[in-house]
Amino acid sequence: MQLEKIHYDNKIVKAFIIATVIFGIVGMTVGLLAAIQLFYPIFNFSDSSLGQFVSFGRIRPLHTNAVIFAFVGNAMFAGVYYSMQRLLKTRLFSDALSWTHFWGWQLIILAAAITLPLGMTSAKEYAELEWPIDIAIALIWVVFGINMIGTIIKRREQHMYVAIWFYIATFVTVAVLHIVNSFEMPVTLFKSYSWYAGVQDALVQWWYGHNAVAFFLTTPFLGIMYYFLPKAANRPVYSYRLSIIHFWSLIFIYIWAGPHHLLYTALPDWAQSLGVVFSVMLIAPSWGGMLNGLFTLRGAWDRVREDAVLKFMVVAVTAYGMATLEGPLLSLKNVNAIAHYTDWIVAHVHVGGLGWNGFLIFGMLYWLVPRMWNTKLYSSKLANLHFWIGTLGIVFYALPMYVSGVVQSLMWKEFAADGFLRYQNFLETTTQILPMHMLRATGGALYLAGVFIMAYNLIKTAYAGSFIANEEAEVSPLVKIKHAPGGYWHHILEAKPVIFTVLALVAILIGGIIELVPTFLVKSNVPTIASVKPYTPLELHGRDIYIREGCVNCHSQMIRPFRSEVQRYDPKGGEYSKAGEYVYDHPFLWGSKRTGPDLHRLGGKYADSWHFRHMLTPAEVSTGSIMPAYPWLYEQQIDKGLTAGKISALRTIGVPYAEGYEKTANNDLDAQANRIVTGLELEGYETAPDAEIVALIAYLQRLGTDIKLDEVATRNE
Amino acid sequence: MKRIVLFLFMCLGLVPAFAQSAESIPAASSAWDDPLLPFYIVIGFTFVVVILVLLVALYLLQVLNYMVRQATRERAERLGIPYKEEPSFWARLWKESNDFVPLEKEADILMDHSYDGIRELDNHLPPWWKWLFYATIVFSGVYMIFYHLTDTLPLPLKEYETELVIAEEQAKKLEASSPVAAIDETTVQLVTDATALADGKTTFLNNCASCHRKDGGGDIGPNLTDEYWKHGGSLRDIFRIIRHGVQGTNMISWEGFISPEKMQNVTSYVLTLQGSNPENAKKPEGELYKPDTHAPADSTKVQASL
Repeated sequence: MQLEKIHYDNKIVKAFIIATVIFGIVGMTVGLLAAIQLFYPIFNFSDSSLGQFVSFGRIRPLHTNAVIFAFVGNAMFAGVYYSMQRLLKTRLFSDALSWTHFWGWQLIILAAAITLPLGMTSAKEYAELEWPIDIAIALIWVVFGINMIGTIIKRREQHMYVAIWFYIATFVTVAVLHIVNSFEMPVTLFKSYSWYAGVQDALVQWWYGHNAVAFFLTTPFLGIMYYFLPKAANRPVYSYRLSIIHFWSLIFIYIWAGPHHLLYTALPDWAQSLGVVFSVMLIAPSWGGMLNGLFTLRGAWDRVREDAVLKFMVVAVTAYGMATLEGPLLSLKNVNAIAHYTDWIVAHVHVGGLGWNGFLIFGMLYWLVPRMWNTKLYSSKLANLHFWIGTLGIVFYALPMYVSGVVQSLMWKEFAADGFLRYQNFLETTTQILPMHMLRATGGALYLAGVFIMAYNLIKTAYAGSFIANEEAEVSPLVKIKHAPGGYWHHILEAKPVIFTVLALVAILIGGIIELVPTFLVKSNVPTIASVKPYTPLELHGRDIYIREGCVNCHSQMIRPFRSEVQRYDPKGGEYSKAGEYVYDHPFLWGSKRTGPDLHRLGGKYADSWHFRHMLTPAEVSTGSIMPAYPWLYEQQIDKGLTAGKISALRTIGVPYAEGYEKTANNDLDAQANRIVTGLELEGYETAPDAEIVALIAYLQRLGTDIKLDEVATRNE
Repeated sequence: MKRIVLFLFMCLGLVPAFAQSAESIPAASSAWDDPLLPFYIVIGFTFVVVILVLLVALYLLQVLNYMVRQATRERAERLGIPYKEEPSFWARLWKESNDFVPLEKEADILMDHSYDGIRELDNHLPPWWKWLFYATIVFSGVYMIFYHLTDTLPLPLKEYETELVIAEEQAKKLEASSPVAAIDETTVQLVTDATALADGKTTFLNNCASCHRKDGGGDIGPNLTDEYWKHGGSLRDIFRIIRHGVQGTNMISWEGFISPEKMQNVTSYVLTLQGSNPENAKKPEGELYKPDTHAPADSTKVQASL
């Protein structure tokens, strides 16, 4: 047979590797800053002119977006592009597409790094970027997809290896998730409202959020594991049939599990329960990946002791196994009742992020760079040091957060003998766990130090070698073999990429459709409350400030039906949060973490002047508070020119503002603002009616109050 | 690692303990006076003994195992047969539960394809893994049936209703057994003992200080250390203001947040601040109030029941 000479494109892989290392350092540094802000609020720099761009509410989304999409994303593309060429024995489909993909992705990251600190956000976790960037992401993702499918089509290997299956699933699912979750109604170039409201928005968001973990952080990295781990260990993969079973069961089941982020919320019970059981059924499929990784090392364990690459991979796969067992356990509703809204969840995601993604990426880089630069690793001692310092970092990160999560949750729930909450003041539970947050930051700093060591080591390695931009390989042309009868049916499927892709798409659509469609169409899933009305124009502006400042990062707006929560947040009204209260919330702002108290029943709890003082100097009003100050809200004005656009946009997506109301809305706005300003003046506080703080106060005072009007109405009937 | 895991489990173990403290109303203030103390001690003792017995048993088993192996080896040497050590129980369990094909026989299950040099074996699915998968599927079916078809187990709202019923029963019992649970502005009395005032101070710092300042000098709320009051300065007035709040002002109603007893303590504590003259206090607001000209009942001193 005539051998063909081809060249694998290493240059694109190199570009993605460099981006990985740079954004790893940037993203983790930002994370460390966020961690420090949580015990030294001074690091919010509230009083400096920079303050509003670096306060926690804006830094936290910057951190999550940077580590997920910039660090892990670039590493994914590096790993996929390197392995795919070799597994399919062909150069990538198109160099032009490869580079469009690379530069497009980096521009998106740049856009994120600019817009997030500016407060341009959709408020939906891990999907914060505004609509023009969403469109760019969709386009670049399609470029990546065409490049991938094109490469698969022109392959010289008849069958697709398991890594490729995972890459295909990644491409189709992320595309579906991103597009569906990003439906939004633009108001201006960088402001939009989610198409969905309240419960429906929450369900779509967590269907997306959970599966972003599944199909951005998990499936591509399982593929990467399936390539790099057997390569580094020089051992055959443990079990082909395990690969098949765990691949299909994983992608089919994962998509259903989203609602476990919304247990005990206003989401319909049937959806919550589906989230629980599908999470439990996910244990075995996830562990299938771990077992296939670890058992592949059978007979090579002696090498794990010496080889830093294998060490990183072993810890990565183990962390994957731990996180995927913990996830289903956290989805049990009695465990979730303790863990939700606490640091436990933060610990959980970081075991996955630092352990699984981080360590697998480090292992991959230590393996790749010497090969691509045709040399040996500069220092295996430093690589080992990185391994130990990184592992220590994970331990120091995770353990304190587990402790602080459980401690805080128990404090929230504890009743004293007199039937009242023992820690009625939320702040007591915050200050209690600050030492744990300091330890966590130490863990994060250790981990980051390891990344710096790696960067040095890799740069030194690259300088010592010479880069092979186009790696030459001799490959045989594609020979199609007829499948002998009686073989694996799946083996035949592996030779049919289009059918394979369609089947993967069907597998991931089923769960999503069954959960989403009834929640949208069946009315009984969101019982309406007559007294719940749309926000006033001023409140709308206030809500947009709430979104811009990222308040949702620390404050939930979802009181679960627990006696301890109703007692804490609405002791007199006795109302937990109901689905019908959120029907005009575009987007929903339930939040996922309570660094501060829940705010859903905040309306009317304090007077306007309290909020006025509190937002200016939180630590003075509540001694020991770690909330940043927001002095700029007192200097900046709301843009009343946007009122009409906001009203019209919301009406288009179903909020019942009267036709033509946008023309008179500003009159109502002025009247409400003047009432607040007059009230504040009586208490001795002066402010302009169009100051942002006035709008924010209007919104905060509205929160959760509509349902009380309903009671009054019913009583009067 | 083990210790850490143990610690986390202990943390989890605390959950029911905390829940219990909410449910039972201890008659005694100290754990030592708990009537169930002997019971706890016996349980604890039994637990320790069981652990010790298990440890000793395990150790003995090890010794026995060692002696048996020793004897087998000696006999083998005596008979001149090469001694081959039996694989341990754990090694066998590991091998069997995973159903590994031995490394030597790997060639038999090596698939005939190779991807960039990566070969694949075709080992069995680990039996325990398979059974785990089946078990989770069965669990899921049972879960849905119990929660959604037969209503055997309570969904969140049902759980909440049950919680409220229990709380109401407790509240009734508490009211019957302890008069402090029913204090209101007509029965409130000045407390003077140190424990009660210390409790009042804690409540003040946690809840009131954010508006009235830590020293009561006033900030968002009025100065509480002077003799001027906006809504009345008697013990009963202050209690009423704390309990119901003042409409249209920053003073919220604390009913439901703080127990009546704590309200009595904090009211008494606030009165101790009279005349303390903190620095930079807020200027007087409201009307002058002289305590001696008002109801004598206010000055009755009672033992705090804390």
